[in-house]
Amino acid sequence: MTVYESDLPGVGKKHEIELGGEARLVVVTHNTGKREVFRRENADSDAEKLFELSDGLARTVGTVLEGAYFQPVATENIDTVLGGDALIEWYEVPADSELAGETIAAADVRQRTGASIIAVEHDDDVTPNPDPGAGVTAGDTVVVIGSRAEVDAFEAAFIDPDAAGEATDIGDPVGPGTGDDADDAGGGV
Amino acid sequence: MAAGSAVAGDLNGLLALGVVVAVAAAVAAAGRRVGIPSVPLYVLGGVLAGPSVAGALGLPAIEPGTLTTLAEVGVVLLLFFLGLEFSLDRLIAARKRLSGAAAVDLLINFPVGVALGFLFGLGALGAFLVGGIVYISSSAVITKSLVDLGWIADPEAEPVLGTLVAEDLVVAVYLALAGALVAGGSPVDALPRIAVALAFLGAIALAAQLLAPRLAPYLGTSDEDLVVRTVAVALVVSGLALSVGASEAVAGFFVGVGVGATPLHDRVADRIAPLRDVFAVVFFAWVGLNTDVVAVAGVAVPVLVAALVSGPAKVVSGAVGGRLYDLSPRRSLRTGLALVPRGEFSLIIAALATASPNPTVATVVPAFAVGYVLVMAFVGTVAMSQADRIERFVGVADS
Repeated sequence: MTVYESDLPGVGKKHEIELGGEARLVVVTHNTGKREVFRRENADSDAEKLFELSDGLARTVGTVLEGAYFQPVATENIDTVLGGDALIEWYEVPADSELAGETIAAADVRQRTGASIIAVEHDDDVTPNPDPGAGVTAGDTVVVIGSRAEVDAFEAAFIDPDAAGEATDIGDPVGPGTGDDADDAGGGV
Repeated sequence: MAAGSAVAGDLNGLLALGVVVAVAAAVAAAGRRVGIPSVPLYVLGGVLAGPSVAGALGLPAIEPGTLTTLAEVGVVLLLFFLGLEFSLDRLIAARKRLSGAAAVDLLINFPVGVALGFLFGLGALGAFLVGGIVYISSSAVITKSLVDLGWIADPEAEPVLGTLVAEDLVVAVYLALAGALVAGGSPVDALPRIAVALAFLGAIALAAQLLAPRLAPYLGTSDEDLVVRTVAVALVVSGLALSVGASEAVAGFFVGVGVGATPLHDRVADRIAPLRDVFAVVFFAWVGLNTDVVAVAGVAVPVLVAALVSGPAKVVSGAVGGRLYDLSPRRSLRTGLALVPRGEFSLIIAALATASPNPTVATVVPAFAVGYVLVMAFVGTVAMSQADRIERFVGVADS
């Protein structure tokens, strides 16, 4: 895949992205920040305008397309649905968790719940794709991926035993205070 | 050059400005509904509010003299923005293909205009001015049409915008020459003026390249300081240019180039654009105020002849330019069609011509320019919107 960039003096910049076959996606970024997105079927056909976005909106949509988007809500319970049944969820590890003070391997996360820890945040340090031997301490935030059932199992086993069996209810009060909103937002995606 | 019974003085300067801008805005708003570009309509608004229409009808007319300085601010800001977008690096990067397309554009259209000028009996200076009026396409009208029609995402956008950039550069030099020549006398008398004007512009260009990056921090950090100081620099430099007989417009262009070379580029463009929009309208309307409808009617035949000759000439030169960019025949034709509209720069040349001591040049050339811009901005815009039909007619349409 090739991206072509060209200048549009007085207007902005144009990027053309090969879509496979002869089709190209054409993104015109105006100096004002406005983005216009076109599609061109082949080299000689006219570009057909698909939509336009303001600068801020374009950046948001861009990060969603990039798969890097998540809503930075101040709660330990934020989930992102990937399509199908797959789910990514953030949990803060409570002090009484079986995971606190253990390594991922010793806690047997994968075997017990089916879910995998894909990142651990300790203070401001984020370890992506942690080694099974990596330790987790109370107060860390773990990012977990799995099916909804696996993620629920993880939550029941390591975060909040009371959540077992009720986590599928929408509006389930998971975290103190803020859990509701996050759960609703997640379920609505 | 006002015709009819001018009853100027009825309106104070503030009211005059308000009325002119309001009339121009109203005419432009009405025209936009039927797809006519704004630039010529602002001129039309000025014509209606001026001595030649409102004055002739016995209404309080606006004397162009009351708005001259504000109109000059409009010219300086128009060219300032041109300079702002102008980047030497970009020009060098695009040099090879651009110079071909730009040279074809210049070598076909400028001589066509000069020939028309001689044909109309305007003499050497008149022919030189008509050459510029016919040669220079309208960046404002064309860029807007490209965006409105979605051509901006098609391959012809590059040769079209590239040619406009090259024209802008040529017109900067052209205005410097024209300004010195219009001041009158024989070409020999004009030589020292040309030398002074070119030297002054060379000095500004050099200063823009060398000093501007170091001066940028002094333009201020707050938006308020930035706008006030940038406008101060632009007006002082362009005013000095005017006082040594150089073109204030070209001085504005180089100040823009200087500011454009600094990291302040985007913020300045953002903050000053509204200012430019307002003063540019004042300038276009001021050209209208100066226009005598009787004189425009008197040059109707030359305008028509010029339209019939120079319209196709632009299509041909643009199409050749498109071919130099390796575009298909259909896209090359579109490149030509897009370059047809004339506008703001032709009007700047017209404004320049009014200063000529030669009465034929001072009255006929501006009248011709206004008529020509009114016709060509409209014809060019229609040509672009009807490109499909024209392609079929010429036989280059896709199946």
